[in-house]
Amino acid sequence: MNTNPEQDAWSRLRAHAAARLDEGFPDRVLKSAHGCPPHVWVRLRAVAADCLRPGFADRVLAAARTRLEMPSYGSQLALSALTAAACVAAVILFHHHELAAADARNLAEWRQIVAAAQDLDAGAR
Amino acid sequence: MDPFSSAALVELVRRAQRGDEAAQRELILAYQHRVAGFVFAMTNRSDVVEDLCQQIFIKMIRAVDGLQAPAQFESWLFRLARNTCIDQLRRQRLRRIFLPFGEEHENIPEPPGAVDSEELDALRHALAQLRPQDRALLALVQEGRSHAEISEILGTSVAAVKARLHRAREHLRAHYQP
Repeated sequence: MNTNPEQDAWSRLRAHAAARLDEGFPDRVLKSAHGCPPHVWVRLRAVAADCLRPGFADRVLAAARTRLEMPSYGSQLALSALTAAACVAAVILFHHHELAAADARNLAEWRQIVAAAQDLDAGAR
Repeated sequence: MDPFSSAALVELVRRAQRGDEAAQRELILAYQHRVAGFVFAMTNRSDVVEDLCQQIFIKMIRAVDGLQAPAQFESWLFRLARNTCIDQLRRQRLRRIFLPFGEEHENIPEPPGAVDSEELDALRHALAQLRPQDRALLALVQEGRSHAEISEILGTSVAAVKARLHRAREHLRAHYQP
C-alpha cells in the first residue's frame, strides 16, 4: 500500500487528467494523426453534388442562351458613348447656330446705328 | 474518375466549341458534380454552390471556343472554377468592409442532414482555417490533377506547387480533428 503523500497526489492528478479524456480519445488521436481519409473527401463531393437541383445542366444552358442573346457589356457601353457624343455634338451645333444668329443680329443693329450716325453727321454739315 | 477517354473528351470539346448544345450539355453533366465538390471545398458554403457552379459553366460555354488545346479542357475548367471561387471570396470580404455584416452572418448554419458525419464536419472546419489558395490546391489534388497541371492552373512552378502542397497538407492535418 502506498502511503507516500507525494505519490498519492500524483496518482490523483493522473486520475483527474485521465477522467478528462472520453472513450473515443484514442480513435480521435489516430484519425488526427493519419489526416483526412479519402472517403471524407468523397463524402464532401457527394454533399456538394446534392446542392445542385435536378435540371442543373438545362438551367445553365438556358441562362447561357439568354446571356448570349442579351447585348454585351461592351456594346451597351459603346451605345451609351455614341448617344453621349451625339448629344454633345447637338449642343455644340445649337450653341454655334445661336452664336452666329446673335452675331448677325448685333451686326445688323450696329449697321443701323452707323447709318443713323452717318445721317446725323451729313445733316449737321 | 474520368468519364471520357482523352480522344472522346477532345471530340466533345471540339463539338462544344462549334456551338453544339448537346455537347455543351454533356460536358456540364460530366463535370457538374466534380465542380460542385471543388466549389464546396473552396467556399465551405452549400448555399452558394449552385450559383457559383452556374457562373462557372456559363463562363465555360462562352469561352470554350477560345480554348486552344481541347486536351487541356479539365485543367482549363478547374482554373475557371478556382478563379470564380477566389473572386467570390474576395467580393465576400469586400462586402464585409462596406456592409455592417460580420463573418458570423455569412456563415449560415447548414440545414440538418447536410453535414452528416463528424469527419466531414472536421474536414470542413479544417478547410475553413486554410487560405483560399491552399484550399484550392488541396481540392485540385483531390480532383486528380497532377503537380504539372496544378502549376499550370496556378501559374507557378512545379517545385512551388510541391512546397505549397506540403505546407497545406500540414495545416490541414493540424486542424483536422474529428
